[in-house]
Amino acid sequence: MESGLIGSTRVVSGGLAVASLLALAACSAGSSTSPPDGTPPPSGEGSDEALVLGLVAEPASLDFTQDAGAAIPQALLVNVYEGLVKLGQDGEIEPALATEWAVSDDGLTYTFDLVENAVFTNGEPMTADDVVFSIERVQTEWAGSLARAMDVVESAEATSPTQVVVTLTQPSNNWLYNMTTRIGAIFSQSGIDDLASTPIGTGPYELAQWNRGDSIELTGNEDYWGEAPYFSEVTLRYFDDPTALNSALLTGTIDVITTVQAPEGLAQFEGNEDLQIIEGTTNGEVVLSFNHRSAPFQDLQVRQAVRQAIDRQALVDTCWAGRGELIGSMVPPTDPWYEDLTDVAPYDPDESRRLLEAAGQTDLTLRLRLPSLPYATSCGQVVASQLEDVGITIEVDTLEFPAQWLAQVFQPPNDYDMSIVAHVEPRDVPPLFGDPTYYLGYDNPEVVQQLADADAGTVDEQVTIMQDVARTLSEDAAADWLFLLPNLVVADADITGLPENAIGEALDLTLLARS
Amino acid sequence: MVDPALPTPSSPVVHRGDVAGVGRRHNPSLVAGALLVALVVVVALVSFVWTPYAPSRVDTSSRLLGLSAEHWLGTDKFGRDVASQIMVGARTTIFVGVIAVGVAAVVGVPLGVLAAMGPRWLGQLVMRTSDLVLAFPALLLAIMFGAVYGSSTLTAMVAIGIATIPSFARVTRAGALQVLSREYVLAARVAGRRRLAIAVRHVLPNVSSLVIVQVSVSFAIAVLAEAALSFLGLGTPLTTPSWGRMLQESQELLSVAPRLAVVPGVAIAVAVLGFNLLGDGLRDRYDPKLERAS
Amino acid sequence: MLLRVLVRAGVLAASLAVSSVVVFGFLAALPGDPARVALGVNATEESVAALRTEFGLDRSLGDQYVDWVGGMITGDPGRSYVSKAEIGPQLADRMQVTLWLVASATLIAVIIALPAGTLMAVRHGRRSGLLLAGLSQLGVAVPAFLAGILLITLFAVRLRWLPSGGWTPPVEDPAMFLRQLTLPALALGVVQGAVLSRYVRSAVIDVLREDYLRTARAKGLTSLRALWRHGLRNAMVPVVTVLGLQLATLLIGAVVVERVFVVPGLGKLLLDAVANRDLLLVQAVVMVLVVAVLVVNFVVDLLYAVLDPRLRHG
Repeated sequence: MESGLIGSTRVVSGGLAVASLLALAACSAGSSTSPPDGTPPPSGEGSDEALVLGLVAEPASLDFTQDAGAAIPQALLVNVYEGLVKLGQDGEIEPALATEWAVSDDGLTYTFDLVENAVFTNGEPMTADDVVFSIERVQTEWAGSLARAMDVVESAEATSPTQVVVTLTQPSNNWLYNMTTRIGAIFSQSGIDDLASTPIGTGPYELAQWNRGDSIELTGNEDYWGEAPYFSEVTLRYFDDPTALNSALLTGTIDVITTVQAPEGLAQFEGNEDLQIIEGTTNGEVVLSFNHRSAPFQDLQVRQAVRQAIDRQALVDTCWAGRGELIGSMVPPTDPWYEDLTDVAPYDPDESRRLLEAAGQTDLTLRLRLPSLPYATSCGQVVASQLEDVGITIEVDTLEFPAQWLAQVFQPPNDYDMSIVAHVEPRDVPPLFGDPTYYLGYDNPEVVQQLADADAGTVDEQVTIMQDVARTLSEDAAADWLFLLPNLVVADADITGLPENAIGEALDLTLLARS
Repeated sequence: MVDPALPTPSSPVVHRGDVAGVGRRHNPSLVAGALLVALVVVVALVSFVWTPYAPSRVDTSSRLLGLSAEHWLGTDKFGRDVASQIMVGARTTIFVGVIAVGVAAVVGVPLGVLAAMGPRWLGQLVMRTSDLVLAFPALLLAIMFGAVYGSSTLTAMVAIGIATIPSFARVTRAGALQVLSREYVLAARVAGRRRLAIAVRHVLPNVSSLVIVQVSVSFAIAVLAEAALSFLGLGTPLTTPSWGRMLQESQELLSVAPRLAVVPGVAIAVAVLGFNLLGDGLRDRYDPKLERAS
Repeated sequence: MLLRVLVRAGVLAASLAVSSVVVFGFLAALPGDPARVALGVNATEESVAALRTEFGLDRSLGDQYVDWVGGMITGDPGRSYVSKAEIGPQLADRMQVTLWLVASATLIAVIIALPAGTLMAVRHGRRSGLLLAGLSQLGVAVPAFLAGILLITLFAVRLRWLPSGGWTPPVEDPAMFLRQLTLPALALGVVQGAVLSRYVRSAVIDVLREDYLRTARAKGLTSLRALWRHGLRNAMVPVVTVLGLQLATLLIGAVVVERVFVVPGLGKLLLDAVANRDLLLVQAVVMVLVVAVLVVNFVVDLLYAVLDPRLRHG
């Protein structure tokens, strides 16, 4: 499996993509599979109702083939653009534009049967040629390492107007999963002229208007091949200020807060009968990164010392109002190979001091460079304080996100010792820890080999190997995982279909309805 | 914010003309202003020597406490002592103000004198350039500097300083022109005294009162500008307490602990009020002298 | 008089030209390659080079400047490197919003300042006058964003009377538009009103002392009536001047207030553009703000001369 899986560049903007990713559900797309457990699909024809959702961090452009930001697929994937497959609430891959698919025994050939009456919003029907076009385009035109997830594809062929055969260079467990993310989006061959402002897709919504700096307005796609969603008009309203986002719900300006970024403010929603609060998990691991190119961090003892100096529960309680699960490695509870590894490096300041002494680093100074995101600046101060308690001098500075942080920390020369950022992409162990050129600089050939084996092996082998990898990363103190960003959603009490956990990249609007 | 280019109106002081025989004795603005400014300065100075707690000390067990004997102004969401932060924040406020106003005065006053005493074209040039700089308010300059050089205390100070130069230049020029028209100065020029000597011996001392007033007024503006910049995240770095940033951090907790917004808000208002009142009081004190002289 | 206007117009033109050079030069000094910064993390060399050519970044600075200025004058400031969208329409949209905010704030300021300032002047020395004066001092000392936060806490969070922010175009939903405009306009306007009231007071005091008013009062008119009949025009002079000159401050105050209330105006556009390193957009917005201030100053200058011929020298 190649490195550079989806999302090696997609760090969270404001933690939003995290909590705002509602999973894709099978049924509402009108396919023939059974509904997921729990929420019944929204009934029949859409209503004429409108919905306003509040989010943070507006996308700079609508073109996710060039822009790595997580906000774009959050808004457009599944709603405006569809892929061959989508992600179910339980993490299962479910049909979307492909009604069914078959995999050859050697795992190299995937045959997809397509929906017959899907139409793009520019009037063109969706055919197998568009699928081939889209897949090839990822390999040739897309910018960034996101596209590398498609490198494993050797060829794609339209064997009939409604059938596509994709051949891989080697078997891959991850490829089909990755096709549920942005790289799987199907574009119209004649609809790519202005992707930055005019997205053309087959989905249940189309772009009505983009008011830059304020909101994205989506309206129901009248020619949609599947079931019309409940809400015919959806407005995604973007807020810079997390407190303003909270207030907007109280005054009825918005109906849903898709991701609470000021969790201290949750208190004002509790006990309010007109509102519901949902607290689940996301894929957003808040990573305290160690720059493995930086001398002190090349010593395992120093890394372990830093990990054990941090009281993660107190940290979450202080900087994120106690909302957020503790994780011991880079794997969220919703992944099949999740294990609770929080006891690998427990909070023990005495042990931390002992390790530092043993490593000969009693006078250590480290630079903690934070992006200007709410959770980072908030939790960074707690981290700095706790590390100072064990005798490490910490120099904190804040870098504007995205521009400065990307330029100085993320890109070479990777000028930092530690940083804090949430990585929201699903299954992002390979791009972070399997790629020595990533900003972390973690270079462990064994892990790289294991990741390749996990991808090429059977499904069971993948689980076992990934569990091993997760444990290795934790024991090797490749980074510290402060906590998992929670999926904090607050909405009008009568809105249904809001998933508890945010698993995929997209905010699936088709699940939502008002009872 | 008061526009630096304009002469600020005087404060409520009993005017001589209205009540026969009463002189300008009462000057509440001066007293009140001086007291408030002194308060801020003293707090800032004391903070160098002592604060109740280390201001950045995170104490996760003491979060969001209210007013108490241990924490006079309570704690914030990190358990940091608010009173200590206010004290150190005063330091930032004074520091930024001193540097910014200092830069503005050091550059602006000589420019103003030059504009008044030099050739007419120079005076015009200085005034027109002043007008131009005034089109770039302090905040805008700070944003531009921040965009290019990255935001920091230094860029904030330089930006505010540059934006304040025109007010000093104008005030100095106006005062200088007045002085230059006085008889003893004319006499000095006729007697052949060199211009520089005239500038130093006659002009500067007489415009000093104007400059002092301007210092006070500009300080108030600088405090407001720094607060706005910190509020926007474009001012002092995370580790340096700043009243503006305390305000920004308090927003999340408005429903839970509004005191966290009120305390820095009051601090900012007190500082600005103090400098404004001081400036008004000083102006009222010096004004009559100028009037009498002309 | 005409000569005067022409000279002032010439000065305006020169100021505009110089400012444009300053703005352009300043942002051209930014270290790093705008194309690379815009494309971000994993940009390939080819895509960076392509973007540079597409946006003419490979030409000399002089050429780029001329193009940019030409574009600004003809109303086509070009496309953003980051979002690839036309800057012109964005500016137009946002300008409208900020104009509404600034205009309504000015209205509120005037509504507050005229009666308050006049009262303070007429009653100065007495308790009510001193009280008002004290209040106005307080108003000046409170930054607009603090006023905004306090207003939100009271009216939006506690009382739930008004929304805490957002924006609806007036044509779409006039009621909501007004409701959303109220708090931000108040935050800006009250502070401005306090500042303005002090000038009004000063102007009115001066006018009250004028001889012809004394005569009017001697004839039996009360201070207020005398003021109203004879002095108002002269009292207005400084007010108009101040209003105009305060525009710069008001526009900048709007920047912060827009952040507090999440109003999609020029201020928010500027801050977002800086965060996104969208240089062309930053340049355009800064230039628009500067032009607005310079033009208004010019107009005020002329108005000043028109309103009070006695002051037409200097």
